Amino acid sequence: MPKRLFSVGLLTLGLTLTFGTAQAQSGILKLPLINDPIMNPVIAPDLGSVLINKVIFSGLVRPNEDLLPEPDLAKSWTITNSGLVYTFTLRNDVKWHDGKPFTAADVVFTFKAATDPKSGSRLVSDFSSIKTVVAVNPTTVKFTLSRPFAPFLTLLGHNAGILPKHLLDGKPLNDATAFNRMTPIGTGPFKVTRVVPGASITLEANKDYYGNKPKLAGMVFKVVPDINAQVAQLRSGELDWVNVEPNNIASLQNDPNITLKQANAVQHFLVFFNQKNPLFAPAKIRESMQYAVNRKAIIDGVLKGYADYPTGTLPTALKKYYDKTIKPIQYDPARAKALLAQAGWKPDAKGQLVNAKGEPFKFTLIVDRGNPSREQAALAVQQDLKKIGMDVTLQPLEFATLVRDYLLPGKYDANLIWWTTPPDPDQYSFYATGQDNNNAFFSNSKADDLLKRGRETADVAQRQKIYNEFQRLEMTNPPVLVLYYPKELQAIRKNLSGVPDLGIRDALRRSEDFQLK
Amino acid sequence: MCGRKAEVQGTVPQPAALSPARRSAQKLRRNPSAVRSLAVLLLIVAFALLGPLVYRSSPEAIDFSRQFAGPSWDHPLGTDENGRDVLIRLMLGGRVSLAVGFFAVAVSLVFGVLIGGLSGFFRGWADSVLMRFTDGMLAIPGFFISLLALTFFGAGLTQLVLVIGLTSWMGLARLVRGEVLREREELSVEAARALGASELRVLWRHVLPQVYPTMIVNATIGISFAILTESALSFLGVGIQPPDASWGNMLTGAQNYMYSSPWLAVYPGALILITVVAFNLLGDGLRDASDPQGR
Amino acid sequence: MTLSYLLKRVFHALIVLIMVGVITFFVVRLAPGGPSLLADPKLSAVERQAIEERLGLNDTLPVQFTKWAGQTARGNLGNSFLYGAPTVDIIMTRLPNTLILAGTSLLLTLVVALPLGLASGMRPGSAFDRITSTVSLVFVAVPVFWFGLLLIILFAVTWRLLPAGGMNTAGQEGNLGDLLRHLILPAVVLSAASIAEILRYTRSSTRTVTTQDYVRTARAKGVGQWALRYRHILRNAAIPILTAVGLQLPRLIGGAAITETIFGWPGMGRLSVEAALGRDYPLIMGITLFVALAVVAFNLLIDLLYPWLDPRVRAEG
Repeated sequence: MPKRLFSVGLLTLGLTLTFGTAQAQSGILKLPLINDPIMNPVIAPDLGSVLINKVIFSGLVRPNEDLLPEPDLAKSWTITNSGLVYTFTLRNDVKWHDGKPFTAADVVFTFKAATDPKSGSRLVSDFSSIKTVVAVNPTTVKFTLSRPFAPFLTLLGHNAGILPKHLLDGKPLNDATAFNRMTPIGTGPFKVTRVVPGASITLEANKDYYGNKPKLAGMVFKVVPDINAQVAQLRSGELDWVNVEPNNIASLQNDPNITLKQANAVQHFLVFFNQKNPLFAPAKIRESMQYAVNRKAIIDGVLKGYADYPTGTLPTALKKYYDKTIKPIQYDPARAKALLAQAGWKPDAKGQLVNAKGEPFKFTLIVDRGNPSREQAALAVQQDLKKIGMDVTLQPLEFATLVRDYLLPGKYDANLIWWTTPPDPDQYSFYATGQDNNNAFFSNSKADDLLKRGRETADVAQRQKIYNEFQRLEMTNPPVLVLYYPKELQAIRKNLSGVPDLGIRDALRRSEDFQLK
Repeated sequence: MCGRKAEVQGTVPQPAALSPARRSAQKLRRNPSAVRSLAVLLLIVAFALLGPLVYRSSPEAIDFSRQFAGPSWDHPLGTDENGRDVLIRLMLGGRVSLAVGFFAVAVSLVFGVLIGGLSGFFRGWADSVLMRFTDGMLAIPGFFISLLALTFFGAGLTQLVLVIGLTSWMGLARLVRGEVLREREELSVEAARALGASELRVLWRHVLPQVYPTMIVNATIGISFAILTESALSFLGVGIQPPDASWGNMLTGAQNYMYSSPWLAVYPGALILITVVAFNLLGDGLRDASDPQGR
Repeated sequence: MTLSYLLKRVFHALIVLIMVGVITFFVVRLAPGGPSLLADPKLSAVERQAIEERLGLNDTLPVQFTKWAGQTARGNLGNSFLYGAPTVDIIMTRLPNTLILAGTSLLLTLVVALPLGLASGMRPGSAFDRITSTVSLVFVAVPVFWFGLLLIILFAVTWRLLPAGGMNTAGQEGNLGDLLRHLILPAVVLSAASIAEILRYTRSSTRTVTTQDYVRTARAKGVGQWALRYRHILRNAAIPILTAVGLQLPRLIGGAAITETIFGWPGMGRLSVEAALGRDYPLIMGITLFVALAVVAFNLLIDLLYPWLDPRVRAEG
């Protein structure tokens, strides 16, 4: 077979080479993926899947340019019973990509599946507050919550794309392989027309889209696993938009066809100090870390300045809740040493920190390997802590091993990692005592109280106060060492316009406004 | 060439005068490209082993204020993305890369000779089992298994050496088996056995030396294979882990700066290239030298 | 060639396959960590449990093994963790792509390596011989990922002659010209190392054969240079060359991992990297068994071809 292929090949080879490179497809936006996505928002496990789902599936609401919820499939809503009952009025002009009408039954189906772990749902904890969801009539859905839950609307607009009941009813979402991989049906501005496994997913504009008519003729999500290959394809025009790491900037700066945009990301990069380890239990020790690590140097050196300097765990991207009046802690090794001395750790003759028993301040910092920025940041943290006399070993681990064997069982000393959160200040599950994602085992009754009140308070002004107080508390009793709030770096070809100033996740929810010249 | 016949005839009266090793060494000396390769390799080994004794600089000291600096008195080859000295990292990375090469080959030699030798010597049932095992290992894509093992059991020098060594002994085992089968029939062995030497002793003292040339040729090629494999595994993130340097991970790291600072890729790339070519040429030279038919 | 010999070889092949399967199973399941689906620190305990149950990871190892062995014996390789779909189906969608790439590379390898190797082997030590050997060595010595990226930067970014990656321009699937343009760079990268290796084997086999009596006789009888080369020398050098090609096979099929990753080629190599890094147990097992099967089958084929290629070899025992 190869022989025949090749002889035919030789013939056509000459032809194609003379015709030169393929013509640019106008109006088709080309975006990268690193592997085949799961086109089902409820079970999507990775970022690539989440991104493509944003253009295929709509949600009840979507974030506006201030990241606040605005109507999408829901025209309007009311909140009653002191935040326990949410009633949504749905649009009546929405059709699924297969032409069937969208109704309240689809919404009920989606949230029943989303709250059922057996369906494979990745949204179980996001929506654990839902007690019941019922279709009052074809255009009205009523959610009753088991407790007041302020982030509810934000979460509805985050990853909760609505699924078609008529195609998926009756079996676990995970088993709907054909839907998830080949023929997804949503209500979004683009619909999937062709899937080539391992290679690409082609979408065309949805002519029946209920919102603004999409300006692009279509989109192609291409599988390009290697980031440097992605950069090369961006430069050669085979991709239009690639999110890059600060390391890649140098490769893009001189290209006149590419703009580099910064977007706010709701992320904080941090070091967990395992507070089950007596070394890190005292607040003073954790406070001292904030002075001991030169975070400015990391931001400038590793992130090339594309990050905000941190205070606590609430990132600056949450503009409404971030208190700018709180002064960040600056690098001050002398102050760090003083705090450590108060906690009983003093340098010995060789400059090593030891306690009264003469034991060294010794621990291992783990980091996932393969990501240059995090590896470099971990190196910098290690060196800064060595400078004040701590004995820090750096151990890069494969991510799955790190999470499963070290982080979750709590078998580690310190871990450099990051959290990406929905655009809401609620951090109860991360930093309240005994919660699922509190991997540092931080426990402080005042913080618990603030975080609990914060997620239950709907009033924005009151919430601001609560989170500002939490932010202040974190300055002297930090649950973790926050290193920086990174910016999302978007390398975009200049002929693409209409992209809002948002992170790619939220920007893609407004893809009908994208335009290629 | 035409001298071959005469040489063979000349050695007939005194079979013990020139051992195969000596004879090979002499022949090797007459192969200029092999000699040049050996010289280059000695230089590279000296660069890696002795370099850091002469040129002292910290391979880990991060200095964000001097990223991507060009050559200077302090940093003769400039600095990398973390402001670390490139020269010292090339030297220390060379130690690691060469160590991966040498030790992986050592592992592979031990396994190859042991399995091939035992298989060829005992034949029969043992041979059958060992050769099925060898076939099985040959049928598994070695690179895939290396990748798997390193993903699952963690990457590090020891793991790399074991993984590369344990996935590359099969070719040698087959060759050794063949040689042993052949040598076994030869007179020297028959004679030794007649004198009452035990089987294993025969294997060790008489058959194995005959296999040395094959082993050495294989080892030189094996080292270059191991160095290349380490670099490939680095690209997938399971090679030598930072902050430790190896030529492979330096080259991988440099991929991000191919447009802005291509020289960061040129140094480790060139060292890998030169080392691998030199080991291969040396291997070729050794093969020619040890081949009684050659030239 | 007797039937009993054939049966014996098939029996051996079967043993090899079972061994490969069992070893891989235990290596994979005993390893620390777990499927990357579970490696999300944000998952709650409930979600984690549901996933473990669904993937059958709650069972004890012996139970898992029994299940797996039973399934596999019936030809069912299970569902991929990452894709949710049957492993066999996934491999079958990727296999043709890999065969296209591997086939082209193999062809490129033979087309380049055989004539050059023959020519070098017939005049060992000549300038031509030395230049070919050195150049081919350089191609062996260049790390694949670096060579690949270099070609992309030159041919796709700087000169805009060829596409930087993928197998087709989206929407142009089935367009042979488009496929070929995408095929050139990865095929060159993938065959670079093989060319050198096959060239070396061809050269040394040719050298050995040219000193044999029948070639001298043929020469003396005035057999033409080309006839000599292809009829006598190549045919007699074919066995070691074929064996070498056979040894390249795992590399071409399973080992195209790096090339396929860089060029985003949707084949088995890329799939194997995904399976390994994603710790997709069923997919890992499936790929390993599949490649092993291909290699074993190919070796069997070569064995069967030996007598035809070289009448001196007769199948024994």
